[in-house]
Amino acid sequence: MKRRVGVFVCECGTNIASVVDTEKVAAAAKNMPGVIFATNYKYMCSDPGQDLIKNAIQEHGLQQVVVASCSPRMHEKTFRKAVEDGGLNPYMFEMANIREQNSWVHKDRAEATQKAEDLVRMAVSKVLRHKPLKISTIPITKKALVIGGGIAGMQAALDIAEAGHKVLLVEKEASIGGKMSQIDKTFPTMDCAA
Amino acid sequence: MVAVAQHPNIQLMTMAEVVKVDGYIGNFKVTIKKRAKYVDWDLCTGCGTCMEKCPTKKIPDAFDMGMGQTTAVRMMYPQAVPGKPYIDAEHCTKLLNGKCGICEKVCPTKAIRYEDKEELVSEDIGAIVMATGFDLFEWEKAYGEYGYGMYPDVITSLHFERLSSSSGPTGGKIKRPSDGKIPDSVAFIKCVGSRDDTKGKSYCSRACCMFTAKHAYQLKEKNPDSEAYVFYMDVRTAGKGYEEFYMRSQKAGAKYIRGRVSKIYPKGDKLVLKTEDTLLSKPMEVEVDMVVLATAMVPAAGAKELAKTIGFSTDKDGFFQEAHPKLQPVETFSAGVYLAGTCQGPKDIPDTVAQASAAAVKVLGLFAKNELATEPLIAEVDYVKCSGCEFCVPICPYKAISIKQLAERCHGEPITRRIADINPSLCQGCGACLPACRTTAINLKGFTDEQLAAEVDALCL
Repeated sequence: MKRRVGVFVCECGTNIASVVDTEKVAAAAKNMPGVIFATNYKYMCSDPGQDLIKNAIQEHGLQQVVVASCSPRMHEKTFRKAVEDGGLNPYMFEMANIREQNSWVHKDRAEATQKAEDLVRMAVSKVLRHKPLKISTIPITKKALVIGGGIAGMQAALDIAEAGHKVLLVEKEASIGGKMSQIDKTFPTMDCAA
Repeated sequence: MVAVAQHPNIQLMTMAEVVKVDGYIGNFKVTIKKRAKYVDWDLCTGCGTCMEKCPTKKIPDAFDMGMGQTTAVRMMYPQAVPGKPYIDAEHCTKLLNGKCGICEKVCPTKAIRYEDKEELVSEDIGAIVMATGFDLFEWEKAYGEYGYGMYPDVITSLHFERLSSSSGPTGGKIKRPSDGKIPDSVAFIKCVGSRDDTKGKSYCSRACCMFTAKHAYQLKEKNPDSEAYVFYMDVRTAGKGYEEFYMRSQKAGAKYIRGRVSKIYPKGDKLVLKTEDTLLSKPMEVEVDMVVLATAMVPAAGAKELAKTIGFSTDKDGFFQEAHPKLQPVETFSAGVYLAGTCQGPKDIPDTVAQASAAAVKVLGLFAKNELATEPLIAEVDYVKCSGCEFCVPICPYKAISIKQLAERCHGEPITRRIADINPSLCQGCGACLPACRTTAINLKGFTDEQLAAEVDALCL
């Protein structure tokens, strides 16, 4: 695999840029081993931000992508999709969290910028060791098991059965109905439970 | 209930329990134990002759909370679904000591099977909905001040439901259990076991405020001359039409007194409640004929073991743990297993029905696909390095690691040796097995040792 990393530093409006000098981080990234392209942008997760990734992959022949932005919990899937749309394996991607683990918790601009550079350098060295991964698929048995035949189990079983799928309803007692069958009338309408 | 039994897509298995679950989302292998019914339900028409003729008639009826009596061959209740009887092996004289056999003689379709045995069946399943419900908090073991269950006229709300039900032991007349007298006054005590850290549970059981308002209303409706006292800590009526119903109960004559009852003791055929009206800061004693305790909801017996069998977690109180309290309220940490109703936490009927439908939608979402994509960021074993020590096997929370035999050649000789094998469909990529691996044979794809070391180098060198 060729070492051609692209680094994209997100400003997240002012969420990151107010504490981290994103321009400086992008400039530093350009000198990291393996990096051939680096830039900063206002919102990497926006449509134009994602296009930036796709176009850079095409124009610069990127083989690996690093986005320095928020937590992977937030946008890892978004960027993997952008990387895939750009023509790469979606797992040739790494995210550096410079928002939750940096700009949101630090005040000193110089130190936070230094930390962002460190986080990007770590991500770059990791992404260079990524291998393309493949999503595999497993078949689905379209039959549901409902454990418990009270009001909850009966409702769930009926909804699934009505949609056309087989349901096995297992009940411990000799009859379905559960606690509901012991109840006389129900609030607030006082209609009969059975 | 009948709609469930008649639906062509629903297969009903009663007197049955799930004992084993293997596999993973979309491909579970479930083992179910069917208990012996001693009646062939394929032949039985549900005519009821066996129940009429059964000579063992004085068994306390659990369905009526022990307040009525039932037979050894019985249906759980008259409208039971399926409407077929079974034999209670603990009380049937034929099964206990070989005598009797009357039900076999009178059965017109020859459906009685004394030799019936429990059987295990195996089913292929794609998704599981847990709906195991709740049990009542065992107040008799905790509340000495209410008599530890010694006074027959101190009952629970579920007893009151049976007394109020037209198919119950009193035919729907509110009579007290000790002597069948129609009570002149009834005290309802809320939060028995709920919101009580010292003796019970810290949580609110959510439905009790409303069903107690209903019980007080039903008492006033059936016995207008009876007094209904409701002792409460707070009244919580958060639900559509709930506050209005509470008002209706008060308008019907229910007297609400804010205070915890500190003691119940008998005086003649009455029960005396010692309490304080905390709104007036005044100690008081109230004499009543019957006391109804709104006991807390607790997880159904065996729920925790079942969660362990299937492989998902329970919360501090033993209710099934949802994957996220707000955003994933019906999912569990085990993919393909969903939650419905009070097994997840105390709730009332509307919330239960809503959650059950939500769980059904999750199942349907899964079934809408023909194949399921699996995340490739999972653990993999380097077969060359693996020593087959098995340390990783018990550590895996998803039961994804098993031991398999690897055939290879050693100095030209064919040998087999044991190695760890990871099921890619079960592995969730949590990484718990990695520190357990003494030969560093296990690596997490996308987070290999080499990658993590490279990150540290990039920071430190």
